[in-house]
Amino acid sequence: MTDPVAVGLKSEAVYFDGVTSARHDVMLELNNYAVVIFDKTGELIDQWPYQRLKHLSAPAHLFRIGLRKSESLARLDIADQDMAHAIDLACPDIDRTGASARKAGRRVIGLSFLAAASLFAVAVYGLPAIVDRLAPLVPQGIERRLGNAADIQVRAMLDKGPPEQPFECGEAAVEQAGHAAFEKLMSRLQAAAELRLPLRAAVVRRNEANAIALPGGHIYVFKGLIDQAETVDEVAGVIAHELGHVANRDGTRAILQGTGLSLIFGILLGDFVGGGAVVLASESLLRSAYSRGAETRADDYAVRVMRTAGGDPRALGTFLARIAGKSRSGSIFMDHPGTGDRVARIDAIAPPQIAGATLLDAAEWRALKRICAGYR
Amino acid sequence: MAVAETGTAAGAARHVRFIGPERDYWRIVVRGAILLMVTLGLYRFWLATDVRRYLWANTEIDGESLEYSGTALELLQGFLFAIALILPIYIAFTITVLDLGAFGNFLSTSSVLLLVFLSQYGIYLARRYRLTRTVFRGLRFHQSGNAIHYSICAVWWWGWTVLTLGFAYPFTRAALERFKMRNTWYGDLQGRFVGSGWHLFIRGFLMWLAVLIPMLATAVALLAINWSAVIAVLSGGGDVIGRIEKASPRFLGQIGFAVTSFAVTLALVALLLPAFHAMVMRWWVAGIRFGEMSAVAHLRTRDVYAAYLRFGEIVATSHLRTRDVYLAYLRFIGFLIAFIVVLLVGVFFGLIVLGAFFESGAMLTEFVTVAMMVGTYVVFMLGLITLFNATVTLAVWRLTANSIALSDTRPIGQVKAAGDASSPLGEGIADVLNLGGI
Repeated sequence: MTDPVAVGLKSEAVYFDGVTSARHDVMLELNNYAVVIFDKTGELIDQWPYQRLKHLSAPAHLFRIGLRKSESLARLDIADQDMAHAIDLACPDIDRTGASARKAGRRVIGLSFLAAASLFAVAVYGLPAIVDRLAPLVPQGIERRLGNAADIQVRAMLDKGPPEQPFECGEAAVEQAGHAAFEKLMSRLQAAAELRLPLRAAVVRRNEANAIALPGGHIYVFKGLIDQAETVDEVAGVIAHELGHVANRDGTRAILQGTGLSLIFGILLGDFVGGGAVVLASESLLRSAYSRGAETRADDYAVRVMRTAGGDPRALGTFLARIAGKSRSGSIFMDHPGTGDRVARIDAIAPPQIAGATLLDAAEWRALKRICAGYR
Repeated sequence: MAVAETGTAAGAARHVRFIGPERDYWRIVVRGAILLMVTLGLYRFWLATDVRRYLWANTEIDGESLEYSGTALELLQGFLFAIALILPIYIAFTITVLDLGAFGNFLSTSSVLLLVFLSQYGIYLARRYRLTRTVFRGLRFHQSGNAIHYSICAVWWWGWTVLTLGFAYPFTRAALERFKMRNTWYGDLQGRFVGSGWHLFIRGFLMWLAVLIPMLATAVALLAINWSAVIAVLSGGGDVIGRIEKASPRFLGQIGFAVTSFAVTLALVALLLPAFHAMVMRWWVAGIRFGEMSAVAHLRTRDVYAAYLRFGEIVATSHLRTRDVYLAYLRFIGFLIAFIVVLLVGVFFGLIVLGAFFESGAMLTEFVTVAMMVGTYVVFMLGLITLFNATVTLAVWRLTANSIALSDTRPIGQVKAAGDASSPLGEGIADVLNLGGI
C-alpha cells in the first residue's frame, strides 16, 4: 500500500450479499486493512480486505466492488465519491481512472497486431515451407484420386465438341501416325525426366495454345498449342514445363496451400464486417504468388529436361514470347510471372541450341501436326 | 392477462431505465472499429466485452443496474476451444470427401447440415454464457435446457420459415422464445414466454404480404424468361439485344418488370423495416414473464411474502413507439450519407496522391491500388455497421428499456442465488461460424 488509508472514514452504501437479491442499506467504515460493513443497527456484516477487492463494471455514478477469487457475487455499490476515492487509494489493484485498464488495452492491441502480423508471416513464408515438406508425404493413391476427380471436372468444362467427336486426338485413322509421334515424344521426355509415376498424356481438341497438368500425372496438350508451334521443341518445352508441375506435385501443393490459407484467414482471423474483403484479397494475392513460384520452378525443370533429352532448352522461351507477346513485368494478381521475365530467365540458365538437335524428325513432326486432323 | 392490465395501470413509475450517455457508446464502437482494422478482427473479443459492459451497466431495473461480468480473455479462450472442436470435424470431412467419391459427396452435403446444427447449438450455449455473466443485485442469471434439443428445435422451425418464405416466422420466434425463456432463470426465479405466434402473425401479416407480392413478381418474371435461349445467343459481337429479342420475345419487358418489382420490394423493405423492428420488440417484451407458480409457492413459506402472492409473477409491457424507431433509422441514414461523402472525398484525394507519387504499371502501384480498394471497402463496411450500432441498435435498446413497465417489481428483491458460471465455448462456436452478436 503506497498511500495511507483514510482510517475511520464512513459512508452509506448498498450491499448485496450474493445469497439473495435483497438490497441492504449499510454503513461502511475503513480500517487499516479492510472495508468493514455494518448494517443499519450497527451489527457487523463482513470485512473486505483491500488486497482482495476488485473493481466491477457499473454506471458512471457508482463505484462497485466485489471480492477477488471468490465464488460469491456479493457486491458493494458506493455512490459516495470520497469513500470511492479512499478505497481506490487503499487498494493497489483498483484504478478508477482507468489508466491501468488503458495500459492493458494497449498491450492487447499491440499483441493482437503482432498476432495478425505473424499470421501473415506464416501465410507468406511458413505455409510454403510446410507444404514443401507435406506434399511429398501425400500418398500417390490419394493424388491419383484427386487427379481423377479433377479430370472429370476439367473434361466437363473443356469438352465442348459434338458428342460423336472424341475429346482426345489420335484415334481416327489419319491421326494414328501423329499419335505414334506424340507417344515417342512423351517417352523421350519422360525418360529424360526420370519420373517414376505413370503419366497419362493426351492431345485434346481445344483451340487455345495451352497445356495443363492435373495431380496424379494427367497432362492435356491442347491442339492449338501444336498448331501454333513452329518446331517440335517448342511443343516439347511446354510439355516439359507441365512435367515439372507433375514432378513438383504442384496440384497437390495448390490444394494444401489453399486449405492452409483458408484456415488461417477464414477461421483464425474471423469475419469482422468487411474483413471478408481483406481475406479475399490477401488469399488471392498469396495464391497468385505461390503459383508464380511454381511456374518459375516448372520453367527451370523444363530447361533441365530439354537439355537431358537433347532438345533445344530455349524453345520454350521462344514459343512463350511468340504466343504471349513480350510484356516485361507481371501483375501481382497474375498466377504466371510476366512472359518477358520468364524468357529472360530461361535464356539465362539454358545453353545455346546444339545445332541440329531435335526430338523428332521432320516426318514425325509433320505427323504430329496432323494428330487432330480426323475431325474438322 | 388480467395481471398485465393491473400492472400497466399501477406501473406509473418507470421500472426500467437506460442511463448511458450516447457519447460513451460512440467512443467505444468507433475506437473498436479502428482497432478491428488494425488487428484484422482479433480485437472483436475486447470490443464485444466493452459494448456489453456499457449496455448492461447503464440499464437499470427497479433502480439497480445490470452488470456484465464476462471478460475478453474468456471469449478468446472459448474461441480457441471452438477451433479445437471444429477443426478436426472440418479436416475429417475433407479427408472423407477426398477418399470416398460419391459417398463422400453425400457426407459433404450432410456436413453443411451439421454446421447448421452446430451453429444453433453454439447460439444457445452463447446465450447461456451471456446470461451467467449477467449479474443483478448480487445474483447471476442462468440458463437451463439442453442445447442439442434447442438446436434440433431451431433447425426445424427455421427450416419451415425458409420453406414458407417467412410465413412461419412468427411461430418460429414464439416457439424458440418459449424454449429460451422457459430455461432462463434469475437466481431461482424462472422466466417464461407467453407471446403468441398468432398475435405476431396478425400484426405482421400485411407487412409480410406487402413485401412478398413484389418479390414473387420478380421471381415469376425472371423464371418466365427462356434463359438457355438467351445465354445461347449471348456470345459473339454485333446486335446482342436484337438476337436476344429474337430468341426470347418480350425479354426486355420482362427484365424491366423484374427490375422494377425488385426495386419496389427493396423500397418496401426499407420503409417497413423500422415498423417491423418496433412491432417485434413490443411483442417480445410483452411476452416475457418472470416467476411462475412454483416460485410463488416457494415464496408462500414465508409469511412476509404472503402479500405478494397475487403479484408473484412479473409481467412486462412495452410502449415502444414506432415513430421513435423510425427516427432512429432516419438518423442512421443521415449519418450514413455524411459518412459516404467523407469517404468519397478521401478516395478522391487518395487517387490524386496515387497519381502524383507512383508511376503507373509498377508492381508497387498495383499493390497500393489494391490495398486502397480493399481498405475503402473495409472502411465502408465497418463504418456502415458501426453507424448502425451507434444509432439504431443503441436507440432501440434505450427506447425499449425506457418503454418497459413491470407489473410488480417486489419479487425481484426476494430471489435466491442459483446457477453457476458457464463456459464460453458457445460464444467461440458462434464466433468461428461467424454468428457472434451482442
